[in-house]
Amino acid sequence: MTAERHLRLSIAAVALFLAMGLWLEAMYGLRAEGWIDDPLRREFLRLGHSHGALLGLVNVALAWGIERLETPATWAGKIRLAAWLGALFVGVGFVAGGLTHGPTDPGPPILMVPAGALMTLTATVAVALVRPTDARPPAAD
Amino acid sequence: MSRPRLAAIWLFGPALVFAASALVGVGLTLADDDAWGPVERRGAAVVRSETCARCHPDEHASWRRTYHRTMTQEAVGDAVLAPFAGESLDYLGFRATMDRGADGRPHLRIAATEAGEGEGEGEGATPLLDVDVVMTVGSHRYQQYLARIDRQGEGEVWRLPVAWHVGEGRWIHLNGAFLEPEGTIGAADDYLRHLSRWNDNCVFCHNTEPRPGARADGSFATEVGELGIACEACHGPAGAHVERHANPMRRILARAEVAAADGSIADPHALPPGRSSEICGRCHGNRIARDLAQVLREGDGFLPGEPLADVSRPIFADSAIGGVDGAPFAERFWPDGTPRLSAYEYQALLLSPCHQEGEGGGLGCGDCHSMHASEPSMQVRADRRGDAACRGCHDMSAIPATHGGHPQGVGCTDCHMPRITYGLVQGMISHRIASPDPGAWVGRDDQPDACTQCHVDRSRRWAAEAMARLDLRGSPPAADAEDEAESWASRALLDLYGGDPLQRVLAADALSRASATAPPRERMAWLVGALEDEYPAVRFAAGRAVAAVAEASGEAEVAATIARYDFLGAADGRLEVVDALRATLGPDPFADRPERRQRLLDSQERQLLWIGE
Repeated sequence: MTAERHLRLSIAAVALFLAMGLWLEAMYGLRAEGWIDDPLRREFLRLGHSHGALLGLVNVALAWGIERLETPATWAGKIRLAAWLGALFVGVGFVAGGLTHGPTDPGPPILMVPAGALMTLTATVAVALVRPTDARPPAAD
Repeated sequence: MSRPRLAAIWLFGPALVFAASALVGVGLTLADDDAWGPVERRGAAVVRSETCARCHPDEHASWRRTYHRTMTQEAVGDAVLAPFAGESLDYLGFRATMDRGADGRPHLRIAATEAGEGEGEGEGATPLLDVDVVMTVGSHRYQQYLARIDRQGEGEVWRLPVAWHVGEGRWIHLNGAFLEPEGTIGAADDYLRHLSRWNDNCVFCHNTEPRPGARADGSFATEVGELGIACEACHGPAGAHVERHANPMRRILARAEVAAADGSIADPHALPPGRSSEICGRCHGNRIARDLAQVLREGDGFLPGEPLADVSRPIFADSAIGGVDGAPFAERFWPDGTPRLSAYEYQALLLSPCHQEGEGGGLGCGDCHSMHASEPSMQVRADRRGDAACRGCHDMSAIPATHGGHPQGVGCTDCHMPRITYGLVQGMISHRIASPDPGAWVGRDDQPDACTQCHVDRSRRWAAEAMARLDLRGSPPAADAEDEAESWASRALLDLYGGDPLQRVLAADALSRASATAPPRERMAWLVGALEDEYPAVRFAAGRAVAAVAEASGEAEVAATIARYDFLGAADGRLEVVDALRATLGPDPFADRPERRQRLLDSQERQLLWIGE
């Protein structure tokens, strides 16, 4: 994933999940059935909204960090993909899990959340640890 | 390893490993018969409400607010509503003293007073009871207390004869809570009439999954799954349910409709109304067990969601039991079969056309009540309060606004569920939903009707004629239906002075309500006559009614006088209050016709009731 695309998609993710906040507010204001009367669904949609928006911002920060720290290209593209997919999986996993929940637990899409969280975590750690020199071939003895 | 591959493994490897594990977990769970097949609920372990709270916190929180939860509690801390700070209650020649032991535990001592001549009199004599309170029963209307006393065998717990009335903020003797004559001063048997054994009585409907544990030698090894009416009283023992749902994949894959059908737990909302109502009927409908010995050993054997009829049959007016002639429960019902005591609400529902004729199994308890979406008092669903109780089934737009001919403020239940049931020392609404037909009962004095419970200054014949004027369905009074007393006074007054004890309590309650049609002073003057009643429960109702009317009508002098009245106090003290009230409110309504008053008193004498529990 290119730097420009990552930045644009990250900001788009922030916009998407912020817009979702408007939707949740509207449902609250309209006392929408299936929202007001369903605490579990409400909780997981809120989790999706907040995590999606926050992880979108984390992606913006990672995009800046990758440029600033000169993360080598062999890592940078994959970090961007992992971080963005991670944010998407977490946000969408919470939302879809809440929409399909059972009596006490979210629905199967919730399984996307740990996978997304792991990708976000590994991407963030990689940005912190990978140095510009890590792209060079090992020096000959 | 090349750097691009290392990067891919580092960045995506953990997520892929998780995804693969999750897929395997989903597959194994879907293929696991134990996760989805039938579950044997009978015999499952009781897990207690705190376990349920882990997955159902909202339901647990809403249940915690209810009086069901506090039905039975250990007698510690806030559970004990009475002060137990040295109060005393003198009644029937005995003094009950309520205080606390050195460890702070509530304590009750009962000994004869000088007036009493019974057991345990005088200084140094053995008290009638001298016990520590171990448990409480109830927390809404009044709270009863339990103590360990091995009277007939080991392991016994007994309900004590005095209780704390929450609304009145005072101690009462249980002879005043049940419909029985007072008893003889100084007679220990009369005083201890309601000292009843918890192990094989109260334990059943006031706890979750009780096992009385009656042994052949007369001792008890009583166990309860949980004190009070907890989750598993309505949902059944949840051990199998908890075990099955320990698998998180099972929970994630379980949609609501699958979970409802998985059979590991009973969900009253998912049951047909009749079956769901049986869960309530287990306790809100006195029953006769199919195998009493088994019940006393192991519990009633009822599993919520399965037919209640498998283990018992509800008591109706004509119910018979082996070894007893006739219909031993008849006095618990009005002549038309309508239950007249609380804890028979289930039978009343079964007798209601709304249940019998309704579509899809008819009206059930859950159509009006909810354990989780209601206020604790009466637990009426938030969307079923007032006339909304009927709107769920009846198209209100098809009912003319003039229906009933009553002004706004008179609701459906006022006429169709009149307050003709006695329970917890007060009148309660009937759960037999029916249309009033006073014309059918003209000439009868053995059952109250809905109309004259509000029109307390009117006769039943007037009510029957009003029905016709208002174009309401009703029977015309039979031509030969004559009751001489009918012309003497209103139905409520005749009931108060000449009805059976239950009618007298209901008449007193009716006269106390703001909706009652007679002027306040007239109602209070009538009620004064019942302050001398032989039944303490009637005196209690009458005293409470005078106080309520006096307060509502701003009669400060009457209010001050009735505040001195103690329905359990000595007769001379009560008479002093009665005389003072007569001086203020005027003479007895039959003062100028003593022969009528005497005839009504004779009628009372002929209608003694002995309704304990």
